Amino acid sequence: MMKILVTVKEVAEVEDDFEIDGLGIDEAYLEYDLNEWDDYAVEEAVQIAEAGDDVEVVSVTIGPERSEETIRMALAKGADRAIRVWDDAFESVDLLDVAAKTRLLAAVVEKEDPDLVLTGVQAADDGFGATGVSVADEVGFEWAAVVNELDLDADGGVANVRRELEGGVEELTEVDLPAVLTIQTGINEPRYASLRGIRQAQRKEIAPMSLDDLGFDASALDSPIALTGMSEPESESDATLFEGDAEETAAQLAEVLREKGVGAQ
Amino acid sequence: MDFELSAEHRMIRDSVREFCEEEIAPIAQEVENEHRFPAEVFEELGELDMMGVPISEEYGGLGGDQLMYALVTEELGRVSGGIGLSYAAHVSLGSKPIEMFGTDEQKERWLTPLASGEEMAAWALTEPGSGSDASDMDTIAEKDGDEYVLNGTKQFITNASVAGSVLVKAVTEPGEGYDGISTFIVDPEEDDGFEVTTVWDKMGLNCSPTCEISLDDVRIPEERLLGEEGEGWKQTMKTLDGGRISIAALSTGLAQGAYEAAKQYSGEREQFGQPISKFDAIRDKVVDMYRKTERARLLTHKAAVRYDAGERVSTESALAKLDASEAAREVAEDAVQVLGGYGYTEDFSPQRFYRDAKLMEIGEGTSEIQHLVLGRQLGL
Repeated sequence: MMKILVTVKEVAEVEDDFEIDGLGIDEAYLEYDLNEWDDYAVEEAVQIAEAGDDVEVVSVTIGPERSEETIRMALAKGADRAIRVWDDAFESVDLLDVAAKTRLLAAVVEKEDPDLVLTGVQAADDGFGATGVSVADEVGFEWAAVVNELDLDADGGVANVRRELEGGVEELTEVDLPAVLTIQTGINEPRYASLRGIRQAQRKEIAPMSLDDLGFDASALDSPIALTGMSEPESESDATLFEGDAEETAAQLAEVLREKGVGAQ
Repeated sequence: MDFELSAEHRMIRDSVREFCEEEIAPIAQEVENEHRFPAEVFEELGELDMMGVPISEEYGGLGGDQLMYALVTEELGRVSGGIGLSYAAHVSLGSKPIEMFGTDEQKERWLTPLASGEEMAAWALTEPGSGSDASDMDTIAEKDGDEYVLNGTKQFITNASVAGSVLVKAVTEPGEGYDGISTFIVDPEEDDGFEVTTVWDKMGLNCSPTCEISLDDVRIPEERLLGEEGEGWKQTMKTLDGGRISIAALSTGLAQGAYEAAKQYSGEREQFGQPISKFDAIRDKVVDMYRKTERARLLTHKAAVRYDAGERVSTESALAKLDASEAAREVAEDAVQVLGGYGYTEDFSPQRFYRDAKLMEIGEGTSEIQHLVLGRQLGL
């Protein structure tokens, strides 16, 4: 029996044109969806479950009731059951920081005792990109970040992973289980949920968990980080249109490249 | 009255929409231009359990309701009328009657491969000389021992050239009019004498094959009779009550696709120093497109919900089909206008929606026949 815990997050997606309202973006311009990286993590877990004999995939999220639709998508794609951590105390928190998420998810890991925890590399909205590794550190699991290929040797208790590093460099490494792996997009091709999967997902369990259930009080959500402002960065674009035949435009392009120092010794 | 979809229905709609946008929209114009039935798309629809949405799970279907089926059909129509039409004909006309009127053995043999998406379905009612007046049918089925022998020509049969089974209407009691018609399950592969004689080139919907078929001494065992002899017309009426809901849903999808194209374009296209959506002439047009689309959807959903409650829906499905098909044509025409010269090119979708929408006012009962049905229902 092997257990895989997949952390998922419902993220806000912003329309192209939007307005900022105080410390956030006006709700009218937001749509909520499963975080893209988490979609790959779910797919990876489900593929392991499909290839193995006795693998349970449990999905966990921290989010309000609305996020049940998102976590249900993980159930529709093949997760066996889900846990949703929420509490009234969250309502008054502007920013749930990495440390708070780590405390909560680490408590869930300790309760569930999985062999493998898969997280997305980062969330598309706040983009800290730290929660997975931070959880590993907290619970004392081995870890590998930005994994874009995974070959699991469950019997040997080893995950053979390929990690994507800066500048196109890749690292092949072995990680002993239990481990946390943060999953990069492109590691697989996430499936569409089948309609039967969606229908079955309506009957799968999403267990609610409060701070109290995890052994915390509201202070677990405290953070030294405060959101103080929200603004749209200035963006500049500079386009030059070359006109003329190929010879003329090539000469113009070459001149610009020389000016910019391309090809300089 | 509850106008909100359930979480399950919403999730199914959103998931199908994602699939349609990613996998169908990019090839929608291409398959039209090539006049190519995209078998690979239908294979994927089968894998996602979409080919038997309102068919019971016992026979490989999803076990969903008519509303769920309408949502799926609308999403297909929003990106490709042709794929939507082949889909609706497969489910409503070619599969559903086997579930409603077939024996367990017939369902096992013929319905299961359709509901799971292994095979496509078709049904054959219209003939070269018999359209709105279906009682004037020339195709005949004569009993010969424990077999029937079918002879005749069927016209405008969706999916016939790609189908694993065709439900053929034929006269078993000449002179009896509507009471002399029966339904037979014909296997295009196995049954000698079945031939697709024409695949029509059409104004639109060209990725959905529309065929003329010839039945020349087609001998089939008597177990292929669907229901009883003489029940063919009653079955047809019942089938069309459901089928018209799917054409209404498909039309709503065409309208939605055209409306979205026009809304987006009008917000981006600038003339006289501002987006054209800021001009009353265009804003009012786009608002009317939204109004007609929403109205079509409400009538469609009302018919579907009543169908699911087991109530009679002859009035509701005729009204939804009549309104939605006209809405689709009008909205698509306006979308072409909003996009101007671009709307007339194949690089933009409105012309395709416009071509596709026209058929919705013709197939599964013309708008004139819907008026006739509604007039009768109203006691006129």
